[in-house]
Amino acid sequence: MESVLGFISPKILSQILVGLSRTVILFIVSSGLSLILGVLRIPNVAHGSLYMIGAFMAYTVSHLFGGGNMGFWMALVLAPLGVAVVSFAAERSLFQFLYEREHLMLLLLTFAMSLVFGDLVKMVWGGEYRSVPVPSIFQGYINLFGGLPFPIYSFFLLVVGPVIAILLWLLTNKTKIGKISRAAAVDREMVGAVGINVSWVFATVFIIGCLLAGLGGVLVAPTVSVTLGMDHTLIMEAFLIVIMGGLGNVWGALLGSLIFGLTQSLGILVWPQFGIVFPYLAVVVVLLFRPTGLLRSTW
Amino acid sequence: MKRYSFLALASVLLLSVLCVYSVSQAANTIKVGIVDTYTGPATTFTNDVLDGFKLAVQKINASGGILGRKIEYTTRDEKFKPDIGLAMAKELVLKEKVDILMGTINSATTLAISDFVRKEKIPFFVTFAKSDKIVAEKGHRYIFNMNENTEMAGRAAAIALAKKPYVKYWIAGDDYEYGHAIAEGVWDNLKKLKPSVQKVGETWWKVGEADFTPYITQILAAKPDFIIVATGGSGMVNFQKAAKATGLSQKVPFYQHTATELSVLAPQGQNAPEGVYGTANYFFYYPDTAQNKAFVADFKKAYNRNPRIGALYGYMTAQFIAEGYKKAGKIDKEKFVTALEGMSLDSPVGKLEIRKCDHQLLLPMYFGVTKKDAKYEFLTASGIETIQGKDYVPSCEEVLKHRKK
Amino acid sequence: MKNPLLRGKLPWVIAALIVLFLLPVFLDRFYVYLAAIILLTGLSATSLNFVLGYGGVFQFHHAVFYGIGAYGTALMIIKSNLSPWLGFIVGPVVAGILGFVIGVICIRLSKLYFGMLQISLGSLVWAIVYRWYSFTGGDDGIHGVPLPDIISSPNGAYYFTLIVTAVSMFILYRMIRSPFGSALQGIRDNPVRSEMIGVNVKLQQLLALTIAGFFGGVAGSLFVVVDNTVFPDMMFWTLSLELIIMCLLGGWFSFLGPMVGAGIIVLLRTYVSGLTVYWALILGIIMMLVIFFLPNGVLGYLDRFVKKKARS
Repeated sequence: MESVLGFISPKILSQILVGLSRTVILFIVSSGLSLILGVLRIPNVAHGSLYMIGAFMAYTVSHLFGGGNMGFWMALVLAPLGVAVVSFAAERSLFQFLYEREHLMLLLLTFAMSLVFGDLVKMVWGGEYRSVPVPSIFQGYINLFGGLPFPIYSFFLLVVGPVIAILLWLLTNKTKIGKISRAAAVDREMVGAVGINVSWVFATVFIIGCLLAGLGGVLVAPTVSVTLGMDHTLIMEAFLIVIMGGLGNVWGALLGSLIFGLTQSLGILVWPQFGIVFPYLAVVVVLLFRPTGLLRSTW
Repeated sequence: MKRYSFLALASVLLLSVLCVYSVSQAANTIKVGIVDTYTGPATTFTNDVLDGFKLAVQKINASGGILGRKIEYTTRDEKFKPDIGLAMAKELVLKEKVDILMGTINSATTLAISDFVRKEKIPFFVTFAKSDKIVAEKGHRYIFNMNENTEMAGRAAAIALAKKPYVKYWIAGDDYEYGHAIAEGVWDNLKKLKPSVQKVGETWWKVGEADFTPYITQILAAKPDFIIVATGGSGMVNFQKAAKATGLSQKVPFYQHTATELSVLAPQGQNAPEGVYGTANYFFYYPDTAQNKAFVADFKKAYNRNPRIGALYGYMTAQFIAEGYKKAGKIDKEKFVTALEGMSLDSPVGKLEIRKCDHQLLLPMYFGVTKKDAKYEFLTASGIETIQGKDYVPSCEEVLKHRKK
Repeated sequence: MKNPLLRGKLPWVIAALIVLFLLPVFLDRFYVYLAAIILLTGLSATSLNFVLGYGGVFQFHHAVFYGIGAYGTALMIIKSNLSPWLGFIVGPVVAGILGFVIGVICIRLSKLYFGMLQISLGSLVWAIVYRWYSFTGGDDGIHGVPLPDIISSPNGAYYFTLIVTAVSMFILYRMIRSPFGSALQGIRDNPVRSEMIGVNVKLQQLLALTIAGFFGGVAGSLFVVVDNTVFPDMMFWTLSLELIIMCLLGGWFSFLGPMVGAGIIVLLRTYVSGLTVYWALILGIIMMLVIFFLPNGVLGYLDRFVKKKARS
């Protein structure tokens, strides 16, 4: 606690900035989950597995291209596409038969899928730690506010985050497919009745959601060790964020991620040992006052 | 749909029946049951243990086995869950009737199994769990610790750090038993050896934390001389990456137990941070003795990769099992245990002894700092200081004092 | 009170109990241990199904009650100088109270939101137990819990588990068959209508959650008897999901479904793990098969099968 006295405002500001870069990964993954839950009404527990597959694919692609800068950029493009392909296969073979089922069944089914994916990753990549290096333009750090280092890669993330947010918002609100999917989320039959192939609309939304998970995995890969078990660490947080923010709401996912990321990084200043409790408390508080989430959900 | 339902049910039942059929084993073997985690981030270490063990077993069986019997082993995946680990240990002992148990990387499981084997009187070799309770508080006749524990690692590090000029220390790490134990082990012993050291602060993050930047900025603001970083598992690489990204490794030196190990440095390649202090039990490139080179060559030939610390644990466990029975002269559990007490064998890192009073294997500890190496794609440990096992292990009295409780 | 369905099944139940009592006579020690594990896990799953299957409540983090019951019992035995038998009462009572408290907080939400909030709160409890090393042993857990002599032997532990489980199952069964249970199922099927005919929906659910928590705690304290240890993992969300899977597999519209599901999962896990490292894969595939082809679980399927035969 004595450390709080030593802190002056710039440090809090830098702590906020730092919390934001963590938020970006959370946001990208959660927005995908929110889309799938909001539009397709599927609580996709396998979302974490797709995030992990994205990270592992990033390793493989980056390795294929020599592991340096080229490797990273190729991974950034190809790995999410790889995840999209996997999810397309899963959607066509399994998920498309599930859109009318009850939630609990869907939850268990996606959990089963996450078990399968987890072991498949173990079979394909084995148990070793993998690593994707940060591309050289993003290596190093900038000194903020008097000597506190902020990695350049985190700045990159801070740019990517809002870009994705805006792109998603444009997609869901300004494009035809976005509007159709939001309508279909509310009333599937009606949309089908006006002659739109709802099945393909849902498939598209599902793939975009999964692609976001994979993208999150690729973006996080240079900052952590890519290991088995990555799927479990993120999925609970992603669900809590989605619930906090409002289902199917992209800005809700952003808001939820911000709350999550910031309460953690600021919580560390207040009570270093229990910093991790603050995000969970935030979830509890939010749900008690706004049971359906902070922003409007699609159902 | 009805037909499919029936088919599905039938196949589930068939699967269950097939599973009940357990593979029958030849009599007249020495059965070793291995409970360990082969799922999740710990797998990278436990695969090494198994491979090292297998390598030794092949050799032993090829030269006639132990007292005419071959060693046979079977593994069970506890998935890092202690209740499953304990159930599997019980299955191995009560159903598969193994002679010896080996495992696990999970300290909680190890302690639970330890309790069980004490009642059942089955020798149990601990291969990666590092809780100091294993030989101290919860130690007994049938348990053998084949790797270092947190108290030992802490002492070794303290011996090396006490020689350095740093005074203001910050302690940080993963918020679980292992993290706290390592940190305490290092700090308590350092304070004893060098009373002038001061602790300026502490930080604990959740296990599996991926983003250390907020913690690093907080630590840097306090301007310590040195940081003791108590991470484990994947936290090792995560922290080193964050240290590199924020330039921490250039600003404030820090220490992690196993920072210099291959499993931590190899995945990062040339991008690992330099100047990180670490303690480790094994390097394939040091010491450059004939024994070590032979071991490395054998391992590489069999598994196409360099051996890491787990391989040494597994390899030596097999050797001790073989020699223990040989010295006992017959397949007798009690004679086996007695034979092992105080036994000393040759190994890739020199002579290793299982201490009689607490059954702790006395491994050498290497204190070094990470540095780029022209010979390899990854960083290696340089400036290695070797601390012999007997110099950093707590005395018999200290250990046994815990047991009397 | 005269329940025609029960009359038909009673001889089967008695026969099963006799077989279970004689188990240690003709089975090896390991299988007796396994049977004890199945019984207590089945009880845990049944207590979950009390609110999940019969109440329609999204109880996503039932393992908290199981874990707290275990910790309550273990800590009571170790830390206090009172009779260890008291531990077996304290554990479940604490679990029941926790069930009530968490229920009160979560009750205003429904379905998915209820489940997520329960997970958040449950995770907070887990985090506290995990971090409070000095009191709970942290992630090392507590080992070697001393038990009264009668129940410390493997057979003793088994019989104690059998008796407690049988009694608990009986109590739960009676509650399901009582007006309370009917009201609960009515709320599951149509909460609005139930409200209209005068049922206090929230109160009913709260009571059900307390009861479910209590019996979850009983199962947890039985674990202490059988294995003499507790770990924080016992209240981790993955175990909660496993319990739900057991209910699904066995059939959540039948009373014995969860017990059957527990039996299948424990047996499969024990044997499959001996054959392959990829237990998660196999479990996942089995789950998917069950969800697609046997949505009412094994017992649900058998029930339909039997009814069809009866009709033809």
